[in-house]
Amino acid sequence: MLHTGPGSIGSAPRILIVDDDPNLLVILADQLRADGYDVWTARDGEEALRRLAVAWPDLLIIDMLMPRMDGLTLAREVKARADLPIIVLSAIDTADSKADLLEEVAEDYVTKPYHYPELRARITRVLRRVGDRVPRQRLVLGPNLALELHRREAIVGGSAVSLTPTESRLLYALAANLGQTVTTETLLARGWADTEDADPSYVWVTMRRLRQKVELDPNKPVHLLTVRGIGYRLMSVASGEHV
Amino acid sequence: MSGLRRPDPSPPPYRAGRVSYRGRLTVALVTVGVLPVAGFGIVTLLFVDTADPGATMARVLLLAVAVAVAFALLLALLLASELSSPLRAIADSVERAAAGEEPTSPELAGDDELSRLAESHSRLARDLGRRSRELRRVLDILENTTLGERPEHLAVRAAGAARDAFGMIDCDVLLIDPREIPYEEPVPGEPIPVRAVLIANGEAQGIAVGHLPATRPWERSDQDLFELFAVEVAAAVRNAQLYARVERQNRQLVDLDAAKDDFLRGVSHNLQTPLASIRGYAQQLAAETPDRRLAIITEQADRLSRMVRQLLTVTRIESGALRPRQEVFAAGPRVRRTWEALGAADVPFTLEDGTVGWLALADPDQLDQVLWALLDNAVSYGGRTAVEARLTANPAGGELTITIADQGPGVEEEDRERLFRRFERGSDRPSGEGSGLGLYVSRELCRAMGGDLVLEPGEPGRGGASFMISLPAEAAEES
Repeated sequence: MLHTGPGSIGSAPRILIVDDDPNLLVILADQLRADGYDVWTARDGEEALRRLAVAWPDLLIIDMLMPRMDGLTLAREVKARADLPIIVLSAIDTADSKADLLEEVAEDYVTKPYHYPELRARITRVLRRVGDRVPRQRLVLGPNLALELHRREAIVGGSAVSLTPTESRLLYALAANLGQTVTTETLLARGWADTEDADPSYVWVTMRRLRQKVELDPNKPVHLLTVRGIGYRLMSVASGEHV
Repeated sequence: MSGLRRPDPSPPPYRAGRVSYRGRLTVALVTVGVLPVAGFGIVTLLFVDTADPGATMARVLLLAVAVAVAFALLLALLLASELSSPLRAIADSVERAAAGEEPTSPELAGDDELSRLAESHSRLARDLGRRSRELRRVLDILENTTLGERPEHLAVRAAGAARDAFGMIDCDVLLIDPREIPYEEPVPGEPIPVRAVLIANGEAQGIAVGHLPATRPWERSDQDLFELFAVEVAAAVRNAQLYARVERQNRQLVDLDAAKDDFLRGVSHNLQTPLASIRGYAQQLAAETPDRRLAIITEQADRLSRMVRQLLTVTRIESGALRPRQEVFAAGPRVRRTWEALGAADVPFTLEDGTVGWLALADPDQLDQVLWALLDNAVSYGGRTAVEARLTANPAGGELTITIADQGPGVEEEDRERLFRRFERGSDRPSGEGSGLGLYVSRELCRAMGGDLVLEPGEPGRGGASFMISLPAEAAEES
């Protein structure tokens, strides 16, 4: 278990929880406070937006289904005001067709009933990722590769290739340090913060699969390079240098 | 072209002997022109004494007759050929028409039988040409009908085509009951009214009505062609209507499906939210005062929420909306964790992991669902006998297998396939237990992840049921 306490931003990170179920609000607030977070709560979207007007939290946890304003609408409203990280709590799981929609507006989502250690791991990861911001737009890395990580897509040689959440998280971390080596340990922490028994082989295999997706010739990679024994590096290729 | 009327059987062709027309004409000319001369020659030959000195005169005369006969024969042949040339021209034109080409119109001066024949042929050729042009235009329009074109739009286009093709002043294709349009009596000197009912499948789809210039001839065959056109339009309209109906129903089904999905998502949410509170409070309490009963509350809340999820997965399987992810993870620890979450500490459990160095390529959340269903079945149907989980890697096939086996009574032969169907249990199971969805959902999930789930054949002398999951896998090497 990657146990990373809060406080990476200085003082205790502030989390705003929005849920129409008062019981859940109380339990989650208690659990998070016990872990040292500064917790605010709101019963619906309008209350949440009123609180945003006062001060911005470091992270929002939003329930998907709420009366009046649903979680998706609220997440969009929040993103329109400030690019605050959002985790959506919902009964939707990864195999749902709406999951993609969620990931477009939220950094992550956790299915209900949540398991607190998993949720905490995701909060930690999302807060840490705030450090390595990548704009929510197309990132062109060369004539044959562009990334649209907010949509979990890579455009390889003109056609869109969809990425898994883990793959896009790894690319996120690599893109934030474009041209520099990112260690396997860092990538492991970014990609598998909520997985107890993850080890470096997870990164190796995922990178190999990722290379098959984003490189025109996976055997001669030009964007996703291995720094043997240390980690990986994402490279941008000038449009002149066709390989 | 079901509406095309067959022509009446043609009358028996006119036959006259074996000699050709030109041959007979030649014979006639020769008979008329040469015979008197030849007769004269023969008479002269009979009455003139050849010994007579005047015989020289007779021989000259005979030679003249012979030359005249030969000349007359030649002239007769030429004349016959010239006289029959209009007939050949007509024949050529008919052949062209028969071959589907534009017929020519031979012209002949005068007002005799032959020139009348040529004229009527020309008219026939013109009509034929016009009708084939009309037919081609009408067919062009119908060929250019696209699937999904609205019937009303099709009717407007068909009316325009008919107007152009038949040279009408106006034409409308109305998709209404033909009886609503009263018959119009033709008035001499006024535009000629025409109409044709659109019939498809024996049902009137509508009616085509229009007016022709008063000078335009409108024959039986023109009316036939117009009716044929109406039949084709009717078929196209009917197709368009059926297509529109199917499209509409499809849209309704998609909407209904989306509404159902939303509804189920809502139900699921409304069930999972209180379960989350129950679970949260129980765990909070357990942290303060350790009590076995609190652990049971947590376990049962988990069980309930898994069942809700199973139901949601079934609807997704049915609507084809199941889209598992392909993540990379070690399968062994997940099996152990799922076992621990099951809370069957009193049941002996062994885990034999032969997949070290191999990672599964699957959706871990969905695999949890499968493992939970199989382990839960092994505990409850195995009669709390020892449960064994065996993981093996199959490097050649790029897959790994997870076998979950119990020591219980096993599965009856007749139940083996039935088990994987929806809402089916083993024949000797009490119906109140379980949802009857576990194996069905599990197999569908495994298949959606590129693997499978099978019930292994029972081994003689060894009881128990043994289920095997196979999943795509990859070797864990740095690259």
